[in-house]
Amino acid sequence: MSTRPRPRSTPPAIRRLSRGLAMPLGSVVLAFVVGGLLVLATGGNPFAAYGALLCGGFGFICTQGENPALQISNTIVFVIPLITTGVAVALPFRAGLFNIGAEGQLLAGAIACTAIGIKFSSLPSPILLPMVLIGGMVAGALWAGVAGVLKATIGAHEVVTTIMMNYVAQWFLRYLIVGGPLQLAPGTSKSSPIGAGARLATVLPNDNSLIIFGLPSSVYRVHTGLLIALAAAAIFAFLLWRTSLGYEIRAVGQSQKAARYAGVSVRRTIIVTMLIAGAFSGLAGATEIAGVDHNLTDKYFSDSTGFDAIAVALLGLGSGVGIVLAAILFGALHAGGSVMQADANISGNLVFILQALILFSIAANFVGAIRQRIPGLARPPTALPPEMPPAAPLMTEAAAPPLES
Amino acid sequence: MTPVTDILHLLFTANLWQATLAAAVLLLLPALGGVISERSGVVNIAMEGMMLTGAFFGVVADLAWHNPLAATGVAMLAGALMATVHAVVSIQFRADQIVSGIAINIFAAGLTVFLVNRIYGLQDVGHVGQSELIPYINVPGLDQIPFFGKVIFQQNVIVYVALALLVLTHIVLFRTRLGLRIRAVGEHPQAADTAGINVFAIRYGAVITSGLLSGLSGAFLAIGISNTFVPNMTGGRGYIALAAVIFGKWTPGGAFIACLIFGLGQAIYDNNSIIHVSPYLLSMLPYLLTLVVLAGVVGRSTPPAADGLPYVPGSE
Repeated sequence: MSTRPRPRSTPPAIRRLSRGLAMPLGSVVLAFVVGGLLVLATGGNPFAAYGALLCGGFGFICTQGENPALQISNTIVFVIPLITTGVAVALPFRAGLFNIGAEGQLLAGAIACTAIGIKFSSLPSPILLPMVLIGGMVAGALWAGVAGVLKATIGAHEVVTTIMMNYVAQWFLRYLIVGGPLQLAPGTSKSSPIGAGARLATVLPNDNSLIIFGLPSSVYRVHTGLLIALAAAAIFAFLLWRTSLGYEIRAVGQSQKAARYAGVSVRRTIIVTMLIAGAFSGLAGATEIAGVDHNLTDKYFSDSTGFDAIAVALLGLGSGVGIVLAAILFGALHAGGSVMQADANISGNLVFILQALILFSIAANFVGAIRQRIPGLARPPTALPPEMPPAAPLMTEAAAPPLES
Repeated sequence: MTPVTDILHLLFTANLWQATLAAAVLLLLPALGGVISERSGVVNIAMEGMMLTGAFFGVVADLAWHNPLAATGVAMLAGALMATVHAVVSIQFRADQIVSGIAINIFAAGLTVFLVNRIYGLQDVGHVGQSELIPYINVPGLDQIPFFGKVIFQQNVIVYVALALLVLTHIVLFRTRLGLRIRAVGEHPQAADTAGINVFAIRYGAVITSGLLSGLSGAFLAIGISNTFVPNMTGGRGYIALAAVIFGKWTPGGAFIACLIFGLGQAIYDNNSIIHVSPYLLSMLPYLLTLVVLAGVVGRSTPPAADGLPYVPGSE
């Protein structure tokens, strides 16, 4: 059907790979170009900005004496919850559900983890650590479950219900640590720390005398939650492609009608999917408390991990490996933002602008549109890559899933 | 005193209801935009970002020109510009309207703080002088009515404008040919297209209108109620407006009632020195109420049939 001659030299596997990667990579490049123009237009130097971002994110070409190992460590700390919440957004996507409540579910998990970690602070680690992590997962699952049940029984759109649950969680958190039962002392906005047994170990020993890469090893905050996050990505891929539940999730996402004919309970699948997604988000919140902060603080009032997760899930094309890669990108951006602010005097908020531009680009498939206009790169219109789930009409059953990449 | 008697006492003061109406209008403007946009079939969760952009550029313009009217215009234009991005991405490029909306909100939050740093450095944005704020006007005569005079006729200009826009939106949507077209496009774009209605034009108009209204609300917040810009100063109001749209079952009047309920919550929150309930628990109420409404307790809330679906000409 295409009269255009195709280059014969490239094997199909590479062509498929390059096609699959063209959209996410193209979107990132496009975002950086537009963001750079914005910096330029406001009188900044985009190269200095991106140089500092690269230093802060990956420890490359640092000019102000930053320690590369520390920068990479900081990035990994950001990456950990992004992977887990990315999974929490990507899984419902496959079922045609849009979970923008990962943030609220994360907060619910963090709250539960803290509450349990304080209440049973004297218990030993082998008992308490599983308790706080599972407690966080249950809390997150319940938080998302509200949206799942309302969707499955009433048809209430999960986007709206999860937004509402986000705000309920945020205000509940404020209540708890500002004048509420978890407040450490009057005038503070934090909780008391969780017991030592509830904490995840850091990868490097927490020792001020041990010098690694020129700094005391206690400054490297990478914690064993990294393994949990990587396991979450692996479980996601396994669940989706190797289990009957994963089949049901994909079936519901493709066509609820067809799934019903195949004997899949659509309602049950929707509820179970949301419960699992919430458990992942809750786990992310629990690992943040158990691994990084050890108590609830006002930092969580302005936490945006659950929203970043949407970009992670979309950019990662809903695959386990893709989610990890996208999480590394956004983790590096967030870690690099503060260095960019300090070194290049460009507001770290540029990171959010870049993130939004990436979202626009993926959602609107700008890369595809540009390819269509470049002779030789254009593909027949039938081959448009619909990685995005088509928009679900509010409160009806129809919703189609992303195609597999 | 118990919290209940505290609140009951508060409910009989005109001050509270005056504050309620102002807080409600702040939500009503974006909510009206949301009703119009969603009636035309474009899901709009970007009110938050459009409002924030409006608030920022309103302050920038007012600081530069010392003219609240011009600044309000700039704020509306800024909101409309954001809306245009949402429209191009979601109507022209048929992007997922929810992703586009989220992107707008993230973009607005990032852009405003980025520009604060670029324009004003690390310092404060600065404060707009009292005489350069959008004025409060007492309606002569009517403002002397006991209780209601204070509540309704001693308000900011924007409040009167918003109430007029409420009536106007209702009339346009349900009593004019244009309104019929908007609703037709939102219910069944294919049929509307067949009948000769320009689906894209209607949707563009509706989304941009919602941007103008959200920008106006941002101006009211930044240079009417407040007198400066602080990062993320909208604080989720755009999302409460979205809740009001659903709560009000996609009608202007219903949305207004929802805004009044949420505004009352806000006014009680602002009077938290008198009551003894945690204001943070009260702040959860609008969202919990919306969940209750969505759960079907107050009858089903059904959106326009084609809400959220990009229109592909020639599709079935």
